[in-house]
Amino acid sequence: MTKKKSEAANEDQTRDTKKKSVSAVKSSQKEKPVLAKQVKSSKEEEDLLLDSATDSDYDGDSLSGSLNSDDFDSDVFDSEDDASQKETEGGDKDSSEDELELHGNEDSDDDDEGEQVDSENDEEDGSDEEREVAEESDSSEDEVAPRNTVGDVPLEWYKDEKHIGYDITGKKITKKEKQDKLDSFLANMDDSKNWRKIYDEYNDEEVELTKEESKLIRRMLKGEAPHADFDPYAPYVDWFKWDDAIHPLSSAPEPKRRFIPSKWEAKKVVKYVRAIRKGLIKFDKPEEEPNVYLLWGDDSASDQKSKHLTYIPPPKLKLPGHEESYNPSLEYIPTEEEKAAYELMYEEDRPKFIPKRFTSLRSIPAYENALKESFDRCLDLYLCPRVRKKRINIDPESLKPKLPSRKDLRPYPNSCYLEYKGHTGAVTSVSPDCSGQWIASGSADGSVRIWEVETGRCLKVWQFKEAVKCVAWNPLPDFPILAVAIGQDLVILNTELGTDEEQQKIEELLRLGTLPEQDEAVAAIVSWLPDETYGGIKIKHFKNISYVDWHPRGDYLSAVMSAGETRGVVIHQLSMHKTQRLPIKMRGLPVCTLFHPTHRGMFIIATKKNVRVFNLQKRELAIKKLETGLREISSMAIHPGGDNLIVGSKEGKMCWFDMDLSSKPYKTLKNHPKDITNVAFHRSYPLFASCSEDSTAYVFHGKVYSDLNENPLIVPLEILRGHSTSSNRGVLDCKFHPRQPWLFTAGADSVIKLYCH
Amino acid sequence: MNGEGEDASKVIHVKFLTKLDSPFKVPVTSVVIPSSVTRLGLSSIVNSLLTLEKPEAFDFLIDGELIRMSLEQFLLAKGISAERTLEIEYIRAVAPRKEEKPSLHDDWVSAVDGSSPRFVLTGCYDGLGRIWSSPGSCTHILEGHTGAISSIAFANSEGAEGVTVATASKDRTLRLFKVDTAESGDSTTRVGAYKILRGHKASVASVAAQKYGSKVCSGSWDCTINVWDSNESTSELSVPGKKRKGNNQAEEPQLEGEAETTLVGHTQCVSSVVWPEHDVIYSCSWDHSVRRWDVETGKDSLNLYSGKALNTVDVGGEGSALVAAGGSDPILRVWDPRKPGTSAPVFQFASHSSWISACKWHKSSWFHLLSASYDGKIMLWDLRTAWPLSIIETHKDKVLCADWWKGDSVVSGGADSNLRISSGISIS
Repeated sequence: MTKKKSEAANEDQTRDTKKKSVSAVKSSQKEKPVLAKQVKSSKEEEDLLLDSATDSDYDGDSLSGSLNSDDFDSDVFDSEDDASQKETEGGDKDSSEDELELHGNEDSDDDDEGEQVDSENDEEDGSDEEREVAEESDSSEDEVAPRNTVGDVPLEWYKDEKHIGYDITGKKITKKEKQDKLDSFLANMDDSKNWRKIYDEYNDEEVELTKEESKLIRRMLKGEAPHADFDPYAPYVDWFKWDDAIHPLSSAPEPKRRFIPSKWEAKKVVKYVRAIRKGLIKFDKPEEEPNVYLLWGDDSASDQKSKHLTYIPPPKLKLPGHEESYNPSLEYIPTEEEKAAYELMYEEDRPKFIPKRFTSLRSIPAYENALKESFDRCLDLYLCPRVRKKRINIDPESLKPKLPSRKDLRPYPNSCYLEYKGHTGAVTSVSPDCSGQWIASGSADGSVRIWEVETGRCLKVWQFKEAVKCVAWNPLPDFPILAVAIGQDLVILNTELGTDEEQQKIEELLRLGTLPEQDEAVAAIVSWLPDETYGGIKIKHFKNISYVDWHPRGDYLSAVMSAGETRGVVIHQLSMHKTQRLPIKMRGLPVCTLFHPTHRGMFIIATKKNVRVFNLQKRELAIKKLETGLREISSMAIHPGGDNLIVGSKEGKMCWFDMDLSSKPYKTLKNHPKDITNVAFHRSYPLFASCSEDSTAYVFHGKVYSDLNENPLIVPLEILRGHSTSSNRGVLDCKFHPRQPWLFTAGADSVIKLYCH
Repeated sequence: MNGEGEDASKVIHVKFLTKLDSPFKVPVTSVVIPSSVTRLGLSSIVNSLLTLEKPEAFDFLIDGELIRMSLEQFLLAKGISAERTLEIEYIRAVAPRKEEKPSLHDDWVSAVDGSSPRFVLTGCYDGLGRIWSSPGSCTHILEGHTGAISSIAFANSEGAEGVTVATASKDRTLRLFKVDTAESGDSTTRVGAYKILRGHKASVASVAAQKYGSKVCSGSWDCTINVWDSNESTSELSVPGKKRKGNNQAEEPQLEGEAETTLVGHTQCVSSVVWPEHDVIYSCSWDHSVRRWDVETGKDSLNLYSGKALNTVDVGGEGSALVAAGGSDPILRVWDPRKPGTSAPVFQFASHSSWISACKWHKSSWFHLLSASYDGKIMLWDLRTAWPLSIIETHKDKVLCADWWKGDSVVSGGADSNLRISSGISIS
């Protein structure tokens, strides 16, 4: 019968597996008490051996369990087959009784079969128990009054006791009286419902299963769903829409290639690996992050600047200090006086943040400027110029030309030690003699004086009726005569400072014998007369003479009058007592003239605007015209080398011309706030000077290099003050000492000063 | 108050020493004085020790340095310990004690010579030389020059009955005068030159005579130094007196001399010459140099560059070897030519405020020299201190010349046309 069942069971695999799982569950449930037995029955060796043997049997052969359950099933199926049922049941009872007897009497002669059955029953009991417990927990706990509370302990422990355990109140639950086996058998036989009864060993009572319960069990044993209403074969609802859509979701199964590694990728990888091994592919070394950086450094210098052209570094905020704390130390809190002082300050100067003290964070009020500042910020963003402003950060010092130090350019005149006093009017002109021992001066008081340079002693005085405009010492050392311009007269004075032989020559020269015939045009404007008062020569001109200049050879003498064309400048020849007009017509009124120091025939005339260079011998138009750009030229001086010219103007500007270089000024120096009255070059030292109506004289270093490629070096050296202004006039003339680095200045305050180095 | 207490506690043990004679000698005992005392205080202490009737000014020297500040500062500056007993030497203060009567001239006094104790020679811008035997009494007038006298010197002051005077003038000549000093009447005698030395092409700026010889040398604006013979006998040509302008001694026969040697080397005006030794001439020039000339060879053996135009030079001091020169700036410089390897001045005195017109060493002292300046002051200097010993401000205008006289006086002439004599200067 069992074989049949097993075959039937084998027919349906799924069912079988289900059964198996169920039996496995059962067996696992079985194991616990068995193990407990093992632990407990260490003393009774035989039992233990038997038990262990049976246990091992069961463990090894799960099918026997299932067979057993099949038996049970078969019982259930063959419910009408009472006899067999009863037998098994009776066997069950027997076995349990046997077991009891065995435990109690310890003289068991039962056969192996009985033992096996017994163990089977045991097993079944356990499972039954559990079912009941599950049911009880489900439905009716109150129905059964005494419940054992011993817990999951081996029941053998209570084998010899009269109670089976304790109820919930702690009272002992006494064991029920055991019926006689025969009686119980009889009773069982009588009772038709006996097959449904199960003995609960734990609670020591018989439980009768209801019909529903038994049916449930039967279904479970069959491997069906426990609930009768559950339909395991309900029709399948296909929720997927299989129709074609415009944007179809492919229902195609995932292709295989999705699950296998790509062959081509593998090839590629192999290729790369080979290349790496051969060293064909080189990897960049990982960039090493600097592990230190300047925490408080300037952000503007960071890489961002170089990366983005338009990056404008934000202004660096001041780091917060202790004073910005809500509760700063007392020394940060301004006192009342300080606060009052802040109030008096201009708003821009007032400190932006005044530290305040609050006892707690809670008491800090809302930030009062929040709205204003956010508005300002919006304005900033809105009005921010989007064009990056190129700020030129150039040290102004670096823009200054590198000039040598004044100390290296010594000697130059810087301090006044000597004054030549005696004139009663403004000294209009000074002229040192070529040896540097004497100096002649002319004054507005009509006197011409000769002074001893060394001591400041006035040696000679000539008094004239008109103001002296200009004095000029003859440049020849053995010809100490003076040319003096007084009104319309040009007077040649014998200073009587020469040796006897020189005096003879001078006297001869100054003796007007028969005058040579002059041109008519010349005679109309110039007449030579002997000077009665001082025994010299008086050359009368048709207009007031403003400037007199000697030729370096000492024979020719030019006089400038404020007349145009050819009449403004006349040149007198002293040895021949002759006068020449300028052979060339000239535009503008002449201001001053110069004989070129090295070229014999070269003659330089400054008109009010321009400077022209003529060659007197060739009688042609101006060789050169220098465009000064000045409003009104007042004076002019030429470097002893002859190539450089300085021009002073009435607007206080001085122009340096390099005549070889250009007709435009090489440098224009704007120093004086008032008219420049005269400019002068030193004969041997690299010095030049200008004097002005502002009562100052400026001394410059003006070095001219023999190398034509090198520009002249001009360094301002000293402002010489000391003269006082009288009737709005300052220094009227300045001349350098011919041999020493000294400067004579003639002041309108009727004093001549000598500035020494 | 505390400070005063401390000051009082700062005392120094000093011992006053002197080389002066008995009325000025204090007993050599240690004296305790406060350290804050100055020269005036020291002077009053010494005076109280001496118990003189008339108080006397003293100068004090510690280790050869004159004290010109408080004693405490001086010791600090010099690093001298105040623990031991200081030995302070005192000398009579170098300052004129008496101002003689000024001797008025007709014009600026441009030259003065006080090398003879008997006379003072002055040269004047009116072209006359004068000999003064005492302040205010002019014994002789030396006439003949047509230009201002720029320098005057004794050519020979040894003769008992007569002296020879050389004058240099801006009329390019030098003149030699023989003055008979025996006849000392009340009236001034006019003396004409016995010899005219012509040869310079420009104004003669300076004249100096050989000390024990018959030669004079002169520096001129023609950049040369001429050496002349002042002897009467050696003159080779004797011409009868020419009729010259302004020379009313025309009848007197005059000799004309020519330069024996011309020393060429300066490039500008030779402003001053001195002849301290037999054949060594020192000269200074506006070409910024001081030169030493060997008369025999005519070569310059020394060339000191000062950087400024020089007006005056003198040689003296220790071993008569130090060169002092002044010129176109207010600094008086002293060189020691014996010092090898350097041409920098060893002393610079810069208390004047204008050009220095004259400087002279004291004839006997190693340390003292005077300087005259256009600022109207004459300053007496001691090499041992950088401050002037005393300032003589008697002139009202530029001082053009100054010299020592008799060892204890300073004679000076200036643009106020006066010869002034400050006497009573005690230089030991």
